[in-house]
Amino acid sequence: MGKSWLRDYIIKRLIYSIIIAFGVITITFILVRVGPSSPADKYLANIAATGQDPAQVTAAIDARYGLDKPILVQYADYMGNLFRGNWGWSFSTSMPVIELIKTHWIYSFQLILLSSLFAAFLGILIGIYSAVKQYTKTDYAFTFISFTGISIPNFWLGVMLILIFSVKLGLFKTYYDTTLPLFSIDNLKALVLPVITLGTGMLAGYVRYTRSAMLDNLRKAFVTTARAKGLPERTVIGKHVFRNAMLPLITIIMFDLGSIVFGGAYLTEIIFGIPGLGQVSFNAIFANDYPVVVAVTLIGTFLVLLINLMTDITYTYLDPRIRYD
Amino acid sequence: MIRGLQDIIRKVRPHLRLNTRLINYYWQRTKRNKLAVAGLSFLIFLVALAIIGPFFTLDPTEVNFEEKNIPPVGFGIEQSVYNIETDEFTTKEIHGTWRHPLGTDSKGRDMLAMIVSGARISLLVGLIATGIAIILGTIIGVLSAYLGGWADNALMRFTDVMMTFPFFLLLVLIVFIFGSNLAFIVLAIGLTGWTGTARLLRSESLSLRTREFITAAKAMGASDNRVIFRHLIPNVISLIIVIATLSIPGVILAEAALSFIGLGDPTVPSWGIILEAGQHSLNTAWWVAVEPGIMLFLTVLAFNFLGDGLRDAFDPKSNI
Repeated sequence: MGKSWLRDYIIKRLIYSIIIAFGVITITFILVRVGPSSPADKYLANIAATGQDPAQVTAAIDARYGLDKPILVQYADYMGNLFRGNWGWSFSTSMPVIELIKTHWIYSFQLILLSSLFAAFLGILIGIYSAVKQYTKTDYAFTFISFTGISIPNFWLGVMLILIFSVKLGLFKTYYDTTLPLFSIDNLKALVLPVITLGTGMLAGYVRYTRSAMLDNLRKAFVTTARAKGLPERTVIGKHVFRNAMLPLITIIMFDLGSIVFGGAYLTEIIFGIPGLGQVSFNAIFANDYPVVVAVTLIGTFLVLLINLMTDITYTYLDPRIRYD
Repeated sequence: MIRGLQDIIRKVRPHLRLNTRLINYYWQRTKRNKLAVAGLSFLIFLVALAIIGPFFTLDPTEVNFEEKNIPPVGFGIEQSVYNIETDEFTTKEIHGTWRHPLGTDSKGRDMLAMIVSGARISLLVGLIATGIAIILGTIIGVLSAYLGGWADNALMRFTDVMMTFPFFLLLVLIVFIFGSNLAFIVLAIGLTGWTGTARLLRSESLSLRTREFITAAKAMGASDNRVIFRHLIPNVISLIIVIATLSIPGVILAEAALSFIGLGDPTVPSWGIILEAGQHSLNTAWWVAVEPGIMLFLTVLAFNFLGDGLRDAFDPKSNI
């Protein structure tokens, strides 16, 4: 049993992820094809200016993009291109979309990584403290603060931080300096406000989840046993309660990454001018640069898929009690 | 089409009779949560403001460059004013006036009037889009649980696919492709935001389906329609109310965030649209960005408090 069971599970989970990926690609394909605009649209003004026949030129451009083929052939081409890493051509930046993504992903990555670390570390600490000191004034204060953190629109928080710390106090620059080397103190300083902006919403969530997960476990019999055998309270909380509360937390943190953090990072990058994928997509929207906008959404979705897969597998590995059938 | 609709209304109406005794019971339980009551009070105030407010405020679209960038009452700022006769800039101290209690924006429009009309739009967006999402989610969830087999499988895999998309990124893509008309934005949020509801209602209906009262109803010859509308839906209605209350703030924020990045409907001044404009005038008029943000924040907080209170009130296991 043991090992082979886990291998079967991973294979099953992989196949499932591939099916979902197909679904995701199909939906974006349908959206783009059903949508009212075509690649020819952006040339129409030029065409009219030069006195050419718009219908003729549109047909020529459609043929170049393969839009005159039957829809199923187009669908197969689209799939094939995605898998070969041919994600299209970004005309607003004059480079292949895949190159554009390769140069900009690191900025999104550093923002998301630092924010998640900040939120998870502080959130879990406060959550544990709140649970251990349940119904004290500090606990109520933290609960209230975390409600505030969840409710504050994070793009507005970003603007407020800029207003207070950059415009009024002049402690930080209002815009992210792209010339800074990635691994430097100055770069870290430039990321302080963005990390607080993106991290606050997550932080508040983690406080609440940690608190309730800790409270659930604090009432269990094994805690009483641990205390009864004379373990110091530190060990009881740190080793026994926290380790058991940790598992559901991992899932929630991972799930948050996809559902909340990517959207939040998109907005945070735009507010602070960080040249990550969100900013790239934002610029592409106003240049009507189709393939880039589609690519950024697809990458976000594939990452979620990958993260879900990894979470599930780690989870089964960490908790031997879990058996999926 | 109309006949079908009438048919549905005729079928559903008797089940929508209000059970006043139960409502009273839940109200008594909700009332004990002070934050939930505070949230509810704020929301009632906000709805009243959105409905009757626009009749009392100035015209939110009226542009007046003579009165631009006036701060709210109680604040004063230094503003450089161009004097056309001497061709010089002079600094002048400007104070808030009661004519514009919340100040004016860079085009001299009254902020109070804009906030009030923005409340109307943001609330409508929240309610309608959540309505669409909840109805869609309920139909898919209940149907999936009730039909079972391959239909359940297909519906749930579709839900999985939709759930994999990061909500905001999908929304950006759809609005980018189909254009930023407000009606369309609302529809897009509704059509993408149903997945959580569908999952929850499926699992809830699955556990209800095996309960004795459903089996009894079936044994007595109740039709599928009757079982679903008369027995299943009434038992998940409290869950639906909680999900709706907790989803509305997310929807309002989604619209505001779309507007904030310039994908909103520029013809309709929602709070997000005002905030987006204010973001560019932080140096000259900070209040334009601050005021709609505070309203957004308070509204979301109120819905969260109320939703949390309702969840506890509806939960028979919680002691409150």
